[in-house]
Amino acid sequence: MGDVEASTYGDYKFVARVDHIKTLNQAIKSICFNDYGMLQVSEDGLRITVEQGKSIQATLFMPPGAFMEFYVQDFLSFGLKMNVLSECLNLFGSADCSLRMMYRDQGDPLRIILYPYDNEDVSTECAIKTMDCEEPIDYDKNLKDPDLNVIFVRGPNLSKVFHELEKSAEEFEFVTSPDRPHFKITTVGIMQAVFSVEVAKTSPMMMMFNCKQTVVARYKSQQIRVTNKAMQSATKVAIKTNAIGLLELHLVMQGEGHEEIFVQFFIIPLLQTD
Amino acid sequence: MKFRALMQDPQYMREFQAIVATLAKLAKDCVMILGPRQMHFIVNEDQSSTASPLVWASIAAEEYFPEYRMEAALPEHEFIVLSMSSASLGRALSVLRNVGTNNCKFKLQRIQFPCISVIATVLLSSSTEAREVVHDVPVSIIPASDWPAYVVPKVPNSQLVLSLPTLRLLRSLIDKLKNVSPSLEFQVNIDGELNVIATSEMSTVTSRFQKLLLRSLEASQQEASCCVDSRKASAFFGSLQVSNDELTIGIDRDHSIHMQIDVRQDVVLHSILPAVCV
Repeated sequence: MGDVEASTYGDYKFVARVDHIKTLNQAIKSICFNDYGMLQVSEDGLRITVEQGKSIQATLFMPPGAFMEFYVQDFLSFGLKMNVLSECLNLFGSADCSLRMMYRDQGDPLRIILYPYDNEDVSTECAIKTMDCEEPIDYDKNLKDPDLNVIFVRGPNLSKVFHELEKSAEEFEFVTSPDRPHFKITTVGIMQAVFSVEVAKTSPMMMMFNCKQTVVARYKSQQIRVTNKAMQSATKVAIKTNAIGLLELHLVMQGEGHEEIFVQFFIIPLLQTD
Repeated sequence: MKFRALMQDPQYMREFQAIVATLAKLAKDCVMILGPRQMHFIVNEDQSSTASPLVWASIAAEEYFPEYRMEAALPEHEFIVLSMSSASLGRALSVLRNVGTNNCKFKLQRIQFPCISVIATVLLSSSTEAREVVHDVPVSIIPASDWPAYVVPKVPNSQLVLSLPTLRLLRSLIDKLKNVSPSLEFQVNIDGELNVIATSEMSTVTSRFQKLLLRSLEASQQEASCCVDSRKASAFFGSLQVSNDELTIGIDRDHSIHMQIDVRQDVVLHSILPAVCV
């Protein structure tokens, strides 16, 4: 088995294929809020992480099942420019393409080959330079406690809620609580103008509601807004917070073949000054 | 000096309009050279504009005009050479896109100043009487002494010429690639392959078009390549208004790329993208 694999993939340590790039493209665009991204591949799948300062982190995760073909040797990690990656995936505009990703070893470029469906005699190969990278911050371990507040909501509904919230607000306050109002988002504007939306746990947009404590935390609206693009294409969103208000938004995007791509945001709350 | 011409076929009128609209997207002014049997348009003939390429169109008069009469100023002259605003000409011709346009006359005349009058006969559905839509496009007449500066460009000698059946994908790719790199390398080879390569600090993007038709090659040439300004290439593709989708690309190694679109057999749109040093 090992020999067969070695011969098909040559000296490539990572080869993956996606049949339709639309969802992947959307997912990558939704995390392009910073130029530098970290890509990690292991047998568990592919992760692309983008951070901004130490206050927000986004990770795109594709399990091997989301690929038509997935081959990896060892654990690989490298850095790359997100806008370059996104630019490459957009070369054919809205024309549907299949994609092949290949990576040899440290210092080598990540090769992405696009094959548009409407013309089989055309292909584009992008060789994206890679860089050494550090480990992304592991927020996940802080959200392993059993006493988390967890809410699952339907993506399109949540996206609509965020859309209705005030655009010029400076801060967002999230309340998750076992008691009323269950789930409440408040925006605080420049003149301390307040606008809020409450979602009861009985609302049809709720898919699951499991809150054990009342958590009130504020976030910079800029950081919440970074998640907008992802929210627009998400089918399901999990909202998790721990006691100090570390917020995780876990979004599920569904591809054409019903394969799932996950985008995870971790947002650090603002210090409570009052 | 006299010139008059008549167009009648709606399809030809639309094509003619599309050619002029293409030129109007590329430059403010165009040069119109009226020969005894051919009409030429040239834009950016002095190559002074940095973002737009040299483009010209050659139209065999008998293809488009059932009536075409040109008398030069002097019997020994072969041409009338005019320069005009391409946008004004484009606007004057926009009426040719309409379904109700029956015919269109072109007339060189002097109304205070020299102009080309575009006279279109339009039938409206609301009335049985035809109307005449007249646009007078001011022109400046270029004296024979200046003609050497306005010669119809020659198609360069290319080592390899390929034709691309559809330029839709190439067109959108080049539009994207201009953001990747300021210069694009075009490579063609004898196997009917065209590679367009954009190199930036962070990436190299190679687009491959295969199974293209080899139109001509110089003896013993395996491949040819040329680097051109990506803005110029993108300006050419972005300007195209003609509905023809087939593009012929000839590469004169390290010298220039010649693009050609055959609207009809004797109605041809050309462009030359000069090589740049990388």
